[in-house]
Amino acid sequence: MNPLFAFQLRRVGRNRQYLLFTVLLPALFTVFFTKIFGGLAAGPAEYQEEAARYMVSMMAYGGLGAALGATIRISFDRASGWLRQLRVTPVSQTEVFGVDVAVGALLTLPSLVVVALVGRFVNDVQLDLSTWLTLVGALWAGSITFVALGLLIGLALDERAAGGAIGFVGVVLAALGGLWAPVEVFPDSMVTLAHAMPSYWYADLGRDIAAGTAPSGQAVLVLAGFTAGFAALAVLVARRRPLYAVAG
Amino acid sequence: MTRPPALEISALTVRYGDIVAVADLDLTIPAGSTVALLGPNGAGKSTIVNAVLGLLPVATGAVQILGRDPHEAVRAGCVGAMLQHGGLPSETKVGEVLALVRRSFPQQWALDDLLVTAGIDGLLGRPVEALSGGQRQRVLLALALAGAPPLLLLDEPTSAMDVEGRRAFWTTMRGLAERGHTVVFATHHLDEADAVADRVVVIADGRVIADGSAAQVKSGVAGRTISFTADPGRRLDGLPAVSAVTWHGDTVTLATADADATLRALLSDDGSLPDLEVRGASLEDAVLSLTSTIGATR
Repeated sequence: MNPLFAFQLRRVGRNRQYLLFTVLLPALFTVFFTKIFGGLAAGPAEYQEEAARYMVSMMAYGGLGAALGATIRISFDRASGWLRQLRVTPVSQTEVFGVDVAVGALLTLPSLVVVALVGRFVNDVQLDLSTWLTLVGALWAGSITFVALGLLIGLALDERAAGGAIGFVGVVLAALGGLWAPVEVFPDSMVTLAHAMPSYWYADLGRDIAAGTAPSGQAVLVLAGFTAGFAALAVLVARRRPLYAVAG
Repeated sequence: MTRPPALEISALTVRYGDIVAVADLDLTIPAGSTVALLGPNGAGKSTIVNAVLGLLPVATGAVQILGRDPHEAVRAGCVGAMLQHGGLPSETKVGEVLALVRRSFPQQWALDDLLVTAGIDGLLGRPVEALSGGQRQRVLLALALAGAPPLLLLDEPTSAMDVEGRRAFWTTMRGLAERGHTVVFATHHLDEADAVADRVVVIADGRVIADGSAAQVKSGVAGRTISFTADPGRRLDGLPAVSAVTWHGDTVTLATADADATLRALLSDDGSLPDLEVRGASLEDAVLSLTSTIGATR
């Protein structure tokens, strides 16, 4: 294993609070929303539909939260002077970026898996094994959009602002993207807004898969576009203010 | 083939916006020497160190470390550095950070020796959050030494150390120089430069204003200091050969290039000079005199 990757992983592993909250909150929401809205279902078929949809929404919520939380840590490492210190060792800047992307991507997986397990064993969501695997795989791949967004926020803001910013961005993405209340109950103007959110398309990937259809090309394209946009902005910010620049 | 110098800076200029932090600086440091960059805060010492490491955009000029450009030299493990704004990562132990940095270099300083040399024996299992200021500095020194780099750049390395720690640190540095490492350190502590460096480069306003052994820097300027007790209202401008006047309470100290001429003028002026002392200039006096001369000619 790449030594820097192992090093970064061990550091995140020590941060139990971070791990607990990124996994616990979406898992609890999954139970909470399904109990409320699933209870209103007219029959078992409708319950399955509601329960699967909330599970997918919470997988999306958990995945994006974990991706943002993991990647803004780059702003902490800048603030402490560690990235500056690392810059005067033979470790390349490409490796520093690459490892943070990989760690961010890896850390979204526990939230996705835990929410899926809660969906299956607490809320009794029934899907084929291959559908479960495709669902987790697709949402894992799609989380790269939020890895890119988290890096952008972590590079652009100082460490205190970045922490606050992802709280805000997480809520906006979840609420407006239809992860907490489904877009079906939104007024028309807010539906348009929802469609402008990457979180809507991210959950849309999962909704299609859970419903047994292939993800829409539109969702894939929109997410790819957002990812490219966030990554390009992150590169631009990093050029103006390199990783090793003194914080502030 | 001759060995390339450890560090060669030619016509280096660094600007922050409109401010020129380093102006057309030339400096060649042969391998194996111990060099102090000495000057007051804001003189441009850190800017020089950062520019040498490629941490700052250079307006004009060139830096070569052992014949390579800065970025290449850092990647090849030719340089170890202690920076003023360097730091340690959270949620780690000292040993983990040291292991990561050590293995990134093509060659490694033997671990047992490194721990003793940097003075961090027994700290490997300690969380970085639990280090004192001095311990932190020594861990940062260990990171700078980890790859046994031929060139060491240290920017105010002892700023968080107590007197004892400082003494131990400089003993270590002298040991490194004896092993053939080139050590370049920035400091505003004149005693450190005087005690450790075999060459002192005095920097003020981004320029080299004196360069030589500590003894040469001392003798090349200022010559002597004359101090005596005087009424604080007494006017002392216009005295011959005086380059600096400093007051401590009612004691006045004059730095002079020609003690005879200055004394003669003082005596003819007033005739009484209670508590008179005439001394050879310390390095501190020399630097003070050099930097105040620069200020006066601007």
